[in-house]
Amino acid sequence: MKELINLTINDQTYEVAVAPNQTLLDVLRYQLELTGTKKGCELGDCGSCTVIMDDKPVNSCLVLAMQAVGKDIKTIEGLETEQGLHPVQKAFVEKQGVQCGFCTSGMILSAKSLLDKNAGPTEQEIRKALSGNLCRCTGYQKIIESVQAASKEISK
Amino acid sequence: MLLPKFKFHEPKTEQEACQILSEYGDKARPIAGGTDLVVNMKKKLMSPEHVVSLSRIASLKSLQKENGFVKIGACFTVADMIEAKDIKENVNALSAGAAALGSPLVRNLATIGGNLGSARPAADLPPSLMAYGATLILKSRNGKRNVTIDDFFKSPGTTECRPGEFIAEIQVQTPPAGAGAGYLNLGARKAQDCNIVNVASFICLNKSGVIETARVILGCVGPIHLRAPAAEKILMGGKPDKALFKKAAEAARTDCLPITDFRGTGEYKRAMVGVLTQRTLEIALDEAKKNN
Repeated sequence: MKELINLTINDQTYEVAVAPNQTLLDVLRYQLELTGTKKGCELGDCGSCTVIMDDKPVNSCLVLAMQAVGKDIKTIEGLETEQGLHPVQKAFVEKQGVQCGFCTSGMILSAKSLLDKNAGPTEQEIRKALSGNLCRCTGYQKIIESVQAASKEISK
Repeated sequence: MLLPKFKFHEPKTEQEACQILSEYGDKARPIAGGTDLVVNMKKKLMSPEHVVSLSRIASLKSLQKENGFVKIGACFTVADMIEAKDIKENVNALSAGAAALGSPLVRNLATIGGNLGSARPAADLPPSLMAYGATLILKSRNGKRNVTIDDFFKSPGTTECRPGEFIAEIQVQTPPAGAGAGYLNLGARKAQDCNIVNVASFICLNKSGVIETARVILGCVGPIHLRAPAAEKILMGGKPDKALFKKAAEAARTDCLPITDFRGTGEYKRAMVGVLTQRTLEIALDEAKKNN
C-alpha cells in the first residue's frame, strides 16, 4: 500500500505517495521527474544513481524511498545556483570530463562531496573518492583533470 | 529491476524492533544500509514479507570505548568505521577491513551489523573481527545473548542469528600491550569487487618477545571464514621473524579448501593465502613492536 511521505530534495520539500518497495532512485526519476540522476546497473555497482544524502554520496538505487524520509538529499539538479554552475560542473565542461554523460551526474556529486571535505586532494585521493563511479568512455583521465581543475578553482 | 512487494517497518527503539521481529519471525528480515539485502531482493534471491529497518534506532549507531572494549553499534556505517579514532587507534586491522569494503558510495550506507549478518565468505569485516576475537550481542524479545564471532557464521548467508533476533552490537576487546594485527585483501580491482582471498592475522608477544597468542583467519577459501589452526600452532611459542612467518604461511595454505571459480583457480587462491598470511603477520609484528 502506498503511503504519503515528505522528501527534502535540493532544499525543497516534496510530498509523494510511495510504496515500500520503491527505491529513492525510482521516486526521483519517475515521480519527481528529476532525471539528472541516472539509472544504470540498479545494484550499487556503477554509481550513476549517486545522490548526496546528509552530506554523503550514496547509491540511490539501494535506498528505499521511505528510508530517505528526514534526510537532506541533493541531486545534480541542486548544484547550479543563481551565480551559475557549481565549480565542479564548470570544470567538467571546460576540461572535457563529459563524453556520453551518463556517469557525469554521479561523478560530479562524488567529486563535490570529496572537495567539500578536502579542497586540495591528491590524484590518488580523487581516484579513491570516485572509485564507486564507473565511466565507460573517458578512461577517467579527463575526469580526474576536471576534479583537479575544480579543486584549484575552489582553493583560489 | 523491481523489488518484490513487502511490508515496511521502521521501529524507533530496540524494544519495538524486538516486538516486530518476534511477531513476524522468519517472514521478517532486518535491513540497515540495504547494500546487500536490496541487491538480493532485486535479484529475487530473497523475498521477505516484512522488512524491518533498524536505521532509525539511535542506540544502534553508537561507538564507545569502555572497560577495555571497543563497542560498535550494529548500524554504525563502514565509512564511519574508517574515520573513527577509537577503531583506528585500538583495532586498526578493522579499519583496514572497512577501507577495503565496496566503494565509497556503498560504505556510506553499509553497516558493520549488515556485513556480518549477510555472512558472505568473502566479506571484508569478519577476518579482522575474528582475529581480535570479537563478540556479537544479539537481541530479541527474550533478552540478549553474547555469541563469539567464531561461532556466529554457519554457512554462506546463514548465521547464529535466529528469526526474531537481530545483531545489536559488536564488542572488540582492546588488544593488550605487545599485540598487533594486520588485514589484507586481494581483488581483481582496488575497489568495488569481490575479494579473491582475504586474510587477517593477530599476534601477541610476551615480555621476552615470544608469540603467546596467534590467530590467523582466512576468507574466500571455505564456506565461511576459517581459522588456520596449523599456521597458528607454528606461530605460538615461536620467535617472530621472517623464517617463522614463512613457515606459518606455508601451513596456512594447507588450512583451507579453496574452490576453483571465475575469480581464480583453487591452486592460485591457496598460493595467495600463503602470501597474504606472511604479509599480514609482518604488519601485525610491526604493530606489536610499536605497542610494546
